[in-house]
Parts: sequence; structure tokens; C-alpha cells
Amino acid sequence: MQRGEVFGFLGPNGAGKTTTIRMLLDLLRPTRGTAEVLGGAPGDPAVRRRLGFLPASLHVDPRYRGDDLFGFLTALRGGSPPPLLAALLDRFDLDPTRPVGELSTGNRRKVGIVQAFMHRPELVILDEPTSGLDPLLQHEFLELVREQVAGGMTVFLSSHDLPEVERVAHRVAILRRGELVAVDSVADLRRRARQRIDLFVSGEADAAAFAAVPGVVEVDARDGLVRLVVEGSVDAALKAAARLTVERVVTHEADLAEVFLEHYRDRGEERPG
Amino acid sequence: MTVARRFLLDGRRSFVWWVVGAVAMVALTVALWPSIRGQEQFEELIRELPEALKALFGSGEGIPFTSPAGYLHGRLFSLVFPMLVLIYGIGLGARAIAGHEEEGTLELVLAHPVTRARLALERYLAVVGLVAGVTVAGLVAVLATAPLVGLLDGVAVGRVLVAGTAMFAIALLHASIAFAVGAATGRRAVATAAASALAVGSYLLQSLSATTSALDWTSLATPWQWYLDRNLLVQPPTLAVTVLPLALSAAAAVAGIRRFGRRDLRMP
Repeated sequence: MQRGEVFGFLGPNGAGKTTTIRMLLDLLRPTRGTAEVLGGAPGDPAVRRRLGFLPASLHVDPRYRGDDLFGFLTALRGGSPPPLLAALLDRFDLDPTRPVGELSTGNRRKVGIVQAFMHRPELVILDEPTSGLDPLLQHEFLELVREQVAGGMTVFLSSHDLPEVERVAHRVAILRRGELVAVDSVADLRRRARQRIDLFVSGEADAAAFAAVPGVVEVDARDGLVRLVVEGSVDAALKAAARLTVERVVTHEADLAEVFLEHYRDRGEERPG
Repeated sequence: MTVARRFLLDGRRSFVWWVVGAVAMVALTVALWPSIRGQEQFEELIRELPEALKALFGSGEGIPFTSPAGYLHGRLFSLVFPMLVLIYGIGLGARAIAGHEEEGTLELVLAHPVTRARLALERYLAVVGLVAGVTVAGLVAVLATAPLVGLLDGVAVGRVLVAGTAMFAIALLHASIAFAVGAATGRRAVATAAASALAVGSYLLQSLSATTSALDWTSLATPWQWYLDRNLLVQPPTLAVTVLPLALSAAAAVAGIRRFGRRDLRMP
């Protein structure tokens, strides 16, 4: 990772993303090899003082109020008042006097976000940060990430959600079954990613119309429905579709499995069963 | 001592309840004394009992059950009081690392600038403090209420404090084992089971050894035998009743903390 970038860490569930993060925090010890964070060992308190961490699910004594948690974690870091705390509470409209156990899932996520960013760490490690956030909050959160990165923060963003990573990350690593299969810029990844487009047409659905269109790798046409799988830009496919009478368009976010599939093919590997 | 302070704060409510329990138990025992005092029938009844049951009443070494020292020992110091502190200690010890690890609350804390060793050590010291607190509360209740009904007649205050120290030592030993097993394994049930098995097993062995000489060797090996070897309210303490359990407690804690520092944290 480079300083000042948002580094997306993508992989399907079970690929080893959280395991990697737990090694970066010295919660797990690698069987072989070493991990290095900010130029030091993950277990070194001096290194951890410069970190922020948002776990995938925040486990906190339910009796703690937000204030208790923020105060305790601040004391662990040496006690200097966290510069962003007040602004974050305000921004996410979080009441720090309520016990964490009484908060809704979304509000509990906010508590996690606040504690990870409040001391303006050099590096934040985010494990599935937006799962459980409604779209508005998700937007606000990604906005926060962008701002902080502009201010010099480095972000390690682990996620299985490609669109989320696409929106903020500069570079992306793809993890599969514990192995790093690719490290790419987002632009590269997007170029490889496939999208599925379903066109509901009136009249004859004609597969042949798309057969020679650049980027289209799969066509399936029947009963007034054309299903397309497009690699890279969908421009040519949409122009080809313009010749049909399209009633409705449904697009599906490129799901990670398809991105992976691409990687397997490139590397001549077998498709996982 | 940020971690220890937080642990004490988190445990304050349950601590208050255990203190209330200890004081109530002492008060009840003391309140029953006037109806026991001087009841010769009791003494005769106990004299007829088999050795094992006699040991259960804490009677022996020629100290009559109906004397203040015999009564306090038999009704309070030989089983009820240490058991109460011991159960509190085992629960705390198992919770300090393993309980929190299973709940997943250690993860966030350990992602902060605190080493495993510091976290575990501070929490252990907090456990020691809480166990000592409940012990002291019970002793204060004894010293405050027993003289009102003449239950400290012939018993020196210093002896009560020695007996209290010995009781604290045996309770802390079990708490330390729960703590150490929990720190080493990350499993609360295992930690609780190990310490409880030791408590119950060694108590049973102690009771049996009072009846048969075939089990004499156990007197060397079980904490309860060290503790119940004598009535500390009238007899002088041995090293095995104070120093030995404390030394073993420290050794167990150190071993647990070291293992905790080296292993992987379990996923919640």
C-alpha cells in the first residue's frame, strides 16, 4: 500500500480478508512470514497508536455508552482529546449518552465509525464498513473517507462489495482463497469487470443482433427478453440495443464472482466448483 | 492502569451485590449464635457423628463447636465464607480474558496501543482487588457484629485477620486458575470447569482424608487440606495456608498471561 491512497481489499466471503486484517492488528500470528504496518510490527503499541480500526461487527459491552467507549479508547491511546470526535458525532447525528446495547444496528455502526476516525489516525483499517448502513449513511461514510484521504489519511478498505470499493478506492487487491490473485487500479478492474444487462423488448428478440457487437461475451434471447453479458464498456451494446424496441432495462452490478471468473480465465486457471 | 480501572468500573455492580451477599451471610451466622451458645446437646450430637460429618461441621482438634472459635470456624470460615468468595473469584477470573474474548470485546481493545501482557496483567490485578474487596467486606462484618453477641470471646482480632487472609489466599488460588486457564484457552467454560473441578475435587478428597489414613498423601496436594488443616482462629497458621496458595496464584497468573501473549485471539 502507498501512503494517502484508498486500498480496496476485495474478495468473496471466506477468502481471508478478515484473517488478513486480524494479522495486521496482531490478533492472529502468521504461521509463516511477517506482517508489517506503518513500517513496524503490528504488535508494537507505537504502531497501533497511529491506527484506526473498524471491525466488521462491533462487539462492545452493551452497557457502555458511546462516551464510555470513546473515553476508554482515548485513554488507551494516551489520553489526548480526539480532534474529530465532536464533528463526527454531529455529522452522523449520534447520541453518545445512550448505551450501545440500546442502539439500532445502524447507530451501532456509527459508533464504530466514530471510534475508528475520531483520533484522525494515519491509517484506518475498515472491515466491511458499510454493511448495515442505509444508502444515505453509506454515502455520508464514503464522503468522510474521501475527505480524510484528501487530508492525508491512508485507508485499507476490505469489502465484498465491488461498487462500494469502486467508488472510493484508488487501487484494488483481489483475494481468493487466501491468495492475492491481482492488484490493479480501479480503472483496470472496471475494464475487466463484466456487467449483465437484461433488455425486455417488444417484438422479436434477436440474439444475432448482438453477436458481433464489441464487448458482448454472452447473448441469450427468448420470449422478449435479451440477456447480455458485457465486458468493459457497454456503449456498443447499448447502441446495438437502440435498434430494438426496448420496454425495460434491468442492469445487475457486476458481481465479484464474475470479476474473479475473469481472473481465473486470464491465468488459465480452472473455474472453482 | 486504564484497563484495570475500566474492568473495575465494569464490575462495580456485581461487586456490590457480592458484598451485600457476604455481609448478609455473616450477619445471619452471627444472629444464630445466641441460640447455639452453650447447647451441650449439640456437642453430644456432634460427638456421635462419623468422622467425615464431623469434619463437615468443622469440629475437631478438641475445639468444641459450641465455643466461639469452633462455631465461627465451622459455620463460616471452613466452608460457607470461602465458598462464596471462591465462586465470585472463579466467575471473575474466567470472565477477565476468556469471557470477554468469547463475547468479542477484546478485539477492539487489542487493536489499540496496549500489549496483550499489559491488558492481561491489569485485569488480573483488578480480579485480585475485587476478590480481596469481598473478603474484606465479610471480615469487617464479622469484626463489627460478632462482638455484639460475644462471638469473639476468646478469639483475638489478629486471628480473625489471619483466617481471613488464608481464606482470601485459597479463593484467589481458584480465581487465578480460572483466569490462567481462560487466558491460555480463550474458553470461559473450560476455565470455570477447571477451577470448579479443583475446588470440589479437593474438598471431597479433604473430607475423605479426614476419615481414612489411606488418603494421607492428599494432604500435601490439595488446597482445601492446607486450608482446613487447622482452626486458624485459635491455632497458628502454616506457610501452606497463606504463602503457598498466594505463590501458586502468582505462578498460575504469570503462566496464563505468557500463553495469552503468544497465541491467536479467537474469533467471536
